[in-house]
Amino acid sequence: MKKYLFVVPPFFGHISPTLSVGASLLARGHKVAWAGIQEIAAKHVPAGGEFIVPHAELEEHLPEIQRILKRQDDGPHISGAETLKLALEETYMPFCRFIMKGLERIVDEFQPDVIVSDCITFAGAICAYNKGIPCVTTTPVPPDVGGDAMSAPKVHAWWVHNILSLQQEFGIYTPQAIVNSNQLNLVFTSQTFANVPNAPAHMKFVGPVKGRPNETPFDWERLRKVTTPKVYVSLGTLLVDIRKEFFSKLIEAFADQPLTIIAATSPDIFKTWPDNFIVQGFVPQSELMAEMDAVICHGGFNTVNDTFVNGLPMLITPIAYDHFHTASLIEKAGCGIKLRYKRLRVNDLKTSMWELLNNPQYRSAAQRIRETFVQAGGNDKAVEYLESFAAEAKMVAF
Amino acid sequence: MDQLTQPAKLSEAEILPVLKQFITEVIGEEFVEDLDITAASSFTKDLEMDSIEIVAFSEKVKNYFGKDIDFTGWLSNMDLDQIISLNLGDITKYIQSCL
Repeated sequence: MKKYLFVVPPFFGHISPTLSVGASLLARGHKVAWAGIQEIAAKHVPAGGEFIVPHAELEEHLPEIQRILKRQDDGPHISGAETLKLALEETYMPFCRFIMKGLERIVDEFQPDVIVSDCITFAGAICAYNKGIPCVTTTPVPPDVGGDAMSAPKVHAWWVHNILSLQQEFGIYTPQAIVNSNQLNLVFTSQTFANVPNAPAHMKFVGPVKGRPNETPFDWERLRKVTTPKVYVSLGTLLVDIRKEFFSKLIEAFADQPLTIIAATSPDIFKTWPDNFIVQGFVPQSELMAEMDAVICHGGFNTVNDTFVNGLPMLITPIAYDHFHTASLIEKAGCGIKLRYKRLRVNDLKTSMWELLNNPQYRSAAQRIRETFVQAGGNDKAVEYLESFAAEAKMVAF
Repeated sequence: MDQLTQPAKLSEAEILPVLKQFITEVIGEEFVEDLDITAASSFTKDLEMDSIEIVAFSEKVKNYFGKDIDFTGWLSNMDLDQIISLNLGDITKYIQSCL
C-alpha cells in the first residue's frame, strides 16, 4: 500500500482524469487524497478517497481566488498572447502562492509516498521538491511541444523567467524548472494523436482514463425514439458567458435539419428550444457518447477524449487557450473539421456537419485514433507507472 | 491583389488600405463589416487574428510588397507585450522600413 496525493487546479477538465486514476489506485488498495483550492461536488470523489481544501490557510485569499476564477471567462475575448499572460501570471502563479501554506500542512499530515501534481498546479511539484517527496506530473491535454507562441525566443524567456522566480520565492535556486516532473509525466492522450513522435522518455502517453463516478440521470427513453443522426454538443464546464451566442448559431443552423442535437448546457438560456434539441445542464457524457453519430465541441479535452474513445467525427470550434492546438491535431489526424468560433458562419456549421456525417473518411480516421487510445493502456497503464514509480522511488530513498 | 507589383516608396497612408484589403480577404468580408479598421487597430485584440490568419496575411504582404519582408520573423522577435499591443500602424511602419 502506498499513499498518493493528487494536487489539482480548480478546473474540472484537469481534475477529472485524476479522479479516474485515483479510483483505480483505491481499488488496488492504495490510499489516495486530493488537494485543491476549491471544493468539488462530493459525488465526484471516488469512494474511499478524500478531497482536501485547506480552508483555514486559504481564507485570506478567497476574494482574490474568486476574482481569478471569474477572470477565466475573459479567455474567449482576449488574444492568444494575452491568454498566455492570463494563464501564467494571473492564474497559475497566484494559485501556487495561495495554496502552498495549506498544502504543506496537508502533506505533513497525509505523508504521501508520491505527490501527483497537475501540470499547471506548480505548488504540488515545488512542495514535493522542498520536502524530498517523489513527484509525478499529470497532463490532461496534448502537450504543445515547441508550440507556436512559445517558439518566439522572448516569449519562451518570459515563461522561464517567471517559473524560476516563482521557484525562488519558495527557496529553490536550481537553474532549471522543476514545476513539472522530469521523472514521470502521465499524459492522457495517445502519442499518435498528440503528434509528438520524439517525446522525452519520462512522458508516458497512457490515453484517456475512465471510471470517475457519474450518476447523472438522463431521459434515455426520449433518446431511443430519435430516428435522425444524433449530434452531441458540449462547451464543457467553463465559458459560461458565450453560451447564448454559441447556441443561437446552432439553433439557426440545425433547427430545420433532419438531425437531433443533444446539448449539455443549462436549458434556461432560452425560453424555448427547437423540437430536435434535447438539452440538459449536466449529462452522463461518456454513456451518451456511445449513442452519438458526431460531436460538436470547442476542444475541452475530456470531451475530445470521450469523442475519439467512441470513434466519432468531431466539429471543433476552438475558442481560446489550448483549443487551437487540439483543433490542429484533429485536422492533422483527419478525424474532424475545425471552424474557428470567432469566425463561425451558420452555413459553414451546416455544411461541415453534413460532411462529417456523410463522408465516411472522418469516421474511419476517428476509429484509427480510437485504436491508439485503446493501445495506450488507460487506467491500468497509469496505475502500473504510478506503482512502479512509487516502488523505485522508495528504493532510492533507502 | 496578390500579384507582385513594383511598390516604390509608398507612404503609410498608401500602405494602410492595401493591408485593410488583405485583412478582409483573410478573415472574410462579413466579419470585417463589424470592424472599424484603422492604424490604431490592434492585430490580435481588435482584429482577433489567429496564427493561421497571420500566416495567410503575411504571405499576401510578401507577395505584394516583396519577399524581403520577413513579417513572421519580425513577429517572432517580439515579447508578449509587444505582440499584445501590435497595431496596424506598427505593421505599416515596418513594411515602409523594408521598402
